[in-house]
Order: sequence, then C-alpha cells, then structure tokens
Amino acid sequence: MTAAFVLQGVSKHYPQFSLSDFSLTLPEGQIMGLVGVNGAGKSTLLRLLTGLAAPSSGDIEVLGHRLPEAQVAAKRKIGFAAEDMRLYRGQTLAWHIELVRRIYPEWDSAYAASLLRRFDLRADQSVGGFSHGQRVKALLLLCLARRPQLLLLDEPTTGLDPVARAEVLESLAEVLRDEHRSVLFSSHNTHDVEQLSDSISFMHQGRLLASADKERFLDEWRRVLCVGDVPDALDAWPELVQRRAAGSQIELKFRRWQDDLPERLAQVGLSVQRIDPMTLEDIFVTTVRAGGRQ
Amino acid sequence: MSHLDPGAAPAAPSDARIPAFDHLRALAMLAGVLFHAALAYSPMMHGFWPTAYRAQSPWIDAIVWCLHLVRMPLFFVVAGYFTAWLIVRRGWGGLLRQRLRRILVPMLVAWPLVHLATSASTEWALDHVVHPSPFLSMVKAWLAMPDPPGMPPSTGHLWFLYYLLLFTALAWVVHALDWARGFARTVRITPTRLALILPVLVAPGFFLTTAPHPAPESLFPQFWALALYGPFFALGALLLDRVDLLLSLRRWLWPGLLACVLAYVGFLVQLDQREVADWARTAPWSTALLQALVAAWGTLAALIAGLRWFNRPRAWMTYLARSSYWTYLLHLPVLFALQYVLLDHALSWPLALLLSCGLTLAICLLSYELLVRRTRLRDWVG
Amino acid sequence: MTRELNWPVIRLLMIKDWQLFQKQLAAHLLGGIVALAFLGMAKPWAFYIGSLLLIILLVAVACFAVSTSLLVERKEQTLAFVMSLPVSPLDFTVAKLAGNLLTFLVPFLVMALFTAIIIFSTPLPDGLVVLAALVFGHVLVAYCISLAVAMQVESEGWNLFAMIGSMVLINPFLMLIGQMDSVQSVLRGNAVIWPAPALAILGAQALIGLACLAFALWSNGRKPAFY
Repeated sequence: MTAAFVLQGVSKHYPQFSLSDFSLTLPEGQIMGLVGVNGAGKSTLLRLLTGLAAPSSGDIEVLGHRLPEAQVAAKRKIGFAAEDMRLYRGQTLAWHIELVRRIYPEWDSAYAASLLRRFDLRADQSVGGFSHGQRVKALLLLCLARRPQLLLLDEPTTGLDPVARAEVLESLAEVLRDEHRSVLFSSHNTHDVEQLSDSISFMHQGRLLASADKERFLDEWRRVLCVGDVPDALDAWPELVQRRAAGSQIELKFRRWQDDLPERLAQVGLSVQRIDPMTLEDIFVTTVRAGGRQ
Repeated sequence: MSHLDPGAAPAAPSDARIPAFDHLRALAMLAGVLFHAALAYSPMMHGFWPTAYRAQSPWIDAIVWCLHLVRMPLFFVVAGYFTAWLIVRRGWGGLLRQRLRRILVPMLVAWPLVHLATSASTEWALDHVVHPSPFLSMVKAWLAMPDPPGMPPSTGHLWFLYYLLLFTALAWVVHALDWARGFARTVRITPTRLALILPVLVAPGFFLTTAPHPAPESLFPQFWALALYGPFFALGALLLDRVDLLLSLRRWLWPGLLACVLAYVGFLVQLDQREVADWARTAPWSTALLQALVAAWGTLAALIAGLRWFNRPRAWMTYLARSSYWTYLLHLPVLFALQYVLLDHALSWPLALLLSCGLTLAICLLSYELLVRRTRLRDWVG
Repeated sequence: MTRELNWPVIRLLMIKDWQLFQKQLAAHLLGGIVALAFLGMAKPWAFYIGSLLLIILLVAVACFAVSTSLLVERKEQTLAFVMSLPVSPLDFTVAKLAGNLLTFLVPFLVMALFTAIIIFSTPLPDGLVVLAALVFGHVLVAYCISLAVAMQVESEGWNLFAMIGSMVLINPFLMLIGQMDSVQSVLRGNAVIWPAPALAILGAQALIGLACLAFALWSNGRKPAFY
C-alpha cells in the first residue's frame, strides 16, 4: 500500500493548544473525513500536512516527502484550501488563477473554466466582493484545477448556504472518482463526512480518538433500548460506551457490536426492546463524550 | 484597411498597424532636421543659435515656427498611438522591454556621444571660424572669463526620448489607477468636441512658457512640456480605437487649415510686435491660445492628410520611416559641424540651407545604410 | 531543510507583490514626476515644494512598501494562501526582501541622482553632496530597520513605532551633523571633500542597514515553517 501521508508520533505545541502523539496514515486514493469540534486540532493537523507548520516532534511524510524539510516538492502535488484562508481582496479571481497557473505546470485551464461555470463565479470580479461561499468555491477552483495528488481541505463546507454546499460536495464527489487522488477533509459536519468519505477519523483536544473505514464505524455501533434493572457489572463491559436512563427505558450505546450481545443482556436481566444502527453524528458525539475510551 | 473608409463604423481595437502613422512619424522627424537647419537663417534666432549665419530671411521665421508648432505635437500623437498599439499587442511587459531597448538604451548611449560631438565641433568653430555667430562670440567671451560658469546638464535634442519615457510612465499611472475607464465612462468624445477641446487642453502648456516655445531640455520634467505634449500623446492612444474621429473630421480639413493659417498669422503679428524684454517672459494668454489653435488643428490636419494621402505603403516612405530614428539621433552634431564650416563661406541663405540640410540628410541616410540597416543596431535604432 | 532557492517562484512572488503595490506605486510615481517638475521650475518656492514633496514620497514609499507586502498580508490572512504554494520560508523571505528593496531602491536612487544633479548643476555649494549622502543614508537605514522589524514582529503597534521612530530620528541626526565642525566646513565649500566623521557615519549606516537585512534573512529563512 502506498500512503498519501504518514504521521508518526507527531506533536505540535502552541501556548494555548497541543497536538499530542498523533499517528495517522492515509492510503493513496482514499478519502478521509476528519471530524472534530472547533478547536479539536483539525486545522493544526492540516497545516502540519502542508508544511505550513512544523511539528515539535515526530515524523511527517507526505507523498513520499519528509515535511517540513521537503515542503516545496510536496506542495507541488498538494492542493490545500482552508475555510479561514483569504485571497487578495483587491485582485480579481483571474489574477489569482494566473498566479497559480504560472506556478503549477499541471494547471488544467479547461477544467478551471468548467469549474468557473459550475460555481457560477466571475473571473473578472474582485475577490473582495465575493461572498463567503464564493470565496470557498474560488479557493476550491484554485486547488482543483492544479490537479493535485493530495487534496487537503479544512472545513470546506462550513458556513455555506445549502445550494453552495451541494455544489461544493458535488464537485468534490467528482474529483474523488480519480482513484489515485487522495483527500483529507476536515469538518464538524458529520453529514458531509458521511456522504463523501471512505474512512473517518475523530479528533478531540489534539488527540486522535478513532480512525476506521466508514462502513466499519457504522457496523460496529448500535443503540439499544431495554427495560429492567441495570446490574452494576454492566459498566465493566468493554463494549458499552454509554448508559443512560430514557424515561422508563434504558439507552445503551455499544461499540464493537457482537450479535450475541442481546442474549448477554437478557442473561443479566435486561429485556431488549429495540436495536438501532447509529448515525455518524451520534457515534462522534458518543465517542467525544466517552473521551475516546477504546 | 476597411476601418479607414469614410463613413465606416467606429473601428474596433485593432492590432493592424496603420502605415500613415509610421509615415507621419518619419515626416515629423525629418521636419525636425529641416527646422534645426533653418534656425541658422532665422533673424529671430540670430542672437541665440550657435550656427546662426550671416545671411538670413524673415521667410524662415514665417515658416519654421509653424513647423515647430506642429511637428512635435504630431510626433507625440503618433508616439501615443504606437504606445497603445504595443500595449494591446504585447502587454505592459512587452512595452517596457521595447522602451528599454528602443528608447532608454539609445538615449543613454547617444546622449554622451552627441554631447561630445557637438562640443568638439563647437570648440573647433571657436578656434577656427573667422566669422563666428553671435552665440559663438558670446561663448568665446564667456570662456575668456577667469572662472566661467558651467552649463547645466541637459538632454539636448534627445529631450523627446526623455519625454517619451515620462509619458510611458504616466500612461502606466493612468492604467494602474484605472483612470482611463472612469474617463471613458464619464466623457463621450465626438469629433467636434475633440476639435474644440484639444486647443483648450494644450493652451496652458503654451501659457506656461515663452513664445515660441523652447525645447524642454532640462533633466527635470517641465510642467509646460507635460501640459503641452501630454494631451497629444493621450490623443494618439485614444486614436487606436477611435480613428473614426479623424475620418469624421475629414470634411473640415480645408476650413481647419484656413483657420490654422489665420491663427498663425495672428501669432506672427504678435511675435513681431513684442518688445525684446518680453522674450524671456511667459506667453500672454492670447499668444498661447493662438499657438494652441495652430498646434491642435495643424496636428489634426496633418493626421487627416496622412490618412488620406500617405496611408499606402510605399518603398521609399517605408525606408524613410525606418531610417528616421537614426537620422534624428545623428542629425544635430552633423548639422552643426557642417554649418560651422559654412560660416566662413559667403553663400545665399537658400543655398546654405539646401547644402547643410541636404548633406546632413545624405550623411545620416548613408550611415544608416552602412551601419544600421543590416546590422544588430537595427533592433535598437533602426 | 532544503536551502536551494526556487528562483522562478521567487520571481513570481516578487511580481505578485509589485502588482499588489501597483496602485500606490503609480501614485508615488505621479507624485515623483510632479515633484521633479516643481524642482525643474528653478524658482525658490517651487524648489521648496518639490524637495518637500520628494522627501514625503520617499518616506511614503518606504512605509507603504513594508506595509502592503508584509503587514497587510499578515492582517488579511493571505500568508496561508501564499505558503500553500510550492515555496519554502526561505524562498518567501528572499522574495519579500528582494521585492521590497527593489520597490524602495528604485525611487530612492532616482531621487538621489536628481539631488546630485541639483547640487552640481546649480550655484549651490557642491560640498552639500556630503550632507545629502548622510541624509539619504539615514533614510535608507530607517527603511532597513522598518523592513527588518516588519519581517520579525507581528504587532502593528511595534511596526508603526519602528517606522515612525526611525524616520523621526533624522532630527537629532541632523543636529548631530550640525555640531560637527569638520562636516560643516565642507558643506559650505565648492569642493567635494569627505571628512573622516562623515565617512564613519556612512560606514556605520551601511553596516546597520546590512545587519538589519542580514538578520531578517537569517532569522526568517532558517524557520522551517511560519505557523
């Protein structure tokens, strides 16, 4: 397996925030969704992956290049757009396109023109007059038309209206059809992540809580409603992540779901009323609340 | 060229070069040679011109000042046209490269050479000429002083290159500050407006200097020269897209020329009535306005005539156009050397003018043929 | 960390900064031509206006060049966009330094040239060229300090302090020169003589200026990343 990037024991310390002992690998051609609340460290991670930030310790390798030392070579193949990234207000989109085109020999002018039409952007308009959605789309255009091998997107859909969000997601879905192109995109919107990703990673307070294939995530988690007296021994079950009373019923959330779990619950005196698969959002919230307990 | 047809719709921005403008530039340059040669026989310039000849004629004054009022405005219109043409064809980067190669470098190289050559011939004249001009006599007396003051550095007759660079810089300022678009949005230029406004625009330039206007040879930009030649340069740039303005004015060619002649006669009368003390003073409004009328309408007439009669490429015209830059750079030191030699020969003024002018042109064209046309120099001054 | 400079991209970044600075540069150029035209009128009042305008322009170019290319880039969060392009911090630093120096030095040298022309071609004593060199030297040092501080310090307040403070120091500097008899005697003469204290000051100015630039280059260029 060729990796788009490998993070090994990476830490990054800021006065107010630390990313600690972070290890993560993205196989080539995969789309990974990075989910975390605001301040979880998603932007720091993406900046580390683009060489914009240097790690305090640990190793980062992106597309075969060690960062930040070989950042120039790596950035030739990376497209990076962040929600808080700003373009030059006084200049037109055409000016930005020309700047990026002259730097990247792989720039695809025809694709840029088609994205311009699809995103309904005007090249001769000054970027200062763009709405937030237009700015995000302009950034995406500047990234996508350079045909990068690795696309790093920090909160690309945050703050977009539903129409713009659909447009951005559609164009991303199209990009993702190329099996050699790898994508890491962060979001606190689990619906977007669920829609696009092959694999999902959860981040919280600078730590990686979980990382797995999307299907495995969804298959492993279940929400069980049951009635009866909860025995003390239940809390010691490694599969149980959360227990709470829901009226007369008890809500239990399990990870690493096994088919014999209903039977085991019956054996400890709980009568299972209902078993539901969980949404990614529910899984994420449960994981964060549980503090990433494995 | 279809957009030169009378009655044609306003021309679209075109990268086709209009031959008439090349020819007009050549004529303006050659008129400069004639002008400088003729000043030696002008009674008005007798006291100031280095090669002032003993034989003079008031006819010279009657003709040269008209030439003087039109030739450089015409040159700057053409320069403005070609500047805009180059921007459309090659962009600002291309224009900058062209200006460095064809204007700045030739200017910096020619400047000391022209200065050295003119100084050398003047020194020769001071030592050898038996019938010196009043100017030479004055310099001789000056040099005899114990501590003669030096002359301030000047661009000499290469001032037009310096101003071409200045106007190129100002054109970029207008572009960078996006003034042209704002101007185009607010002002609609019609042929009549152009003909009426142009004299008003250039009149302040004449008002800020003496009459007849000198050459702005100072190393410092002169307000009057910027105000006088700037509008002509801008007109040239405007004509790239609006050559229709000239075509619409065609029917006004003869009445316009007549008005020019009348204004010029008025200007000459005013010059004639002037006291000697007024020579160093800036021109009164009336004189400035008369000069502005001659310069503006004379230039427009020359442009219209050029489009009408000089727009077909002809081999000899093309040759003259190509050699005119070199000829103009070289002509003054050659002309001065020849006219210094002629100072001691008693000839009639027409013969002296013909000889000095003809020989200067012959030497310039021959040197162009031998040194420039087939060599690398062609890229710089050809 | 690779120390090879990516010159094509550095050139593009410099052009980019020039394009961003274009409007201010155009205004300065226009002001410069007007100022020179005032000087060219050869009248005392016009000379005063022209020289004052030129000094204002020189200070304005210095401040605007530093502000547009460094402070505004930081403030408007465009640094991340530039650094996402294939450039290293060293490339970026070299582009900023070279682009800024070029932006400043072109009008600076034109002004210095015209000042020399004025001194040598008018009845002013030629010795004044020594004073002119010292004043120009001070402006250059002030610019180098402002540039180095802008590259080093994010705080807008400190940057303003560096810009204004270094330029304002010209007053005590002129007073200092006024008390140097050896320099003063040269300024009134028609011969261009460089007294030892003047040469020492010029040397110190060159050293300080170069040290500021070298420190900015070294300090920024060795950073593996800016965040």
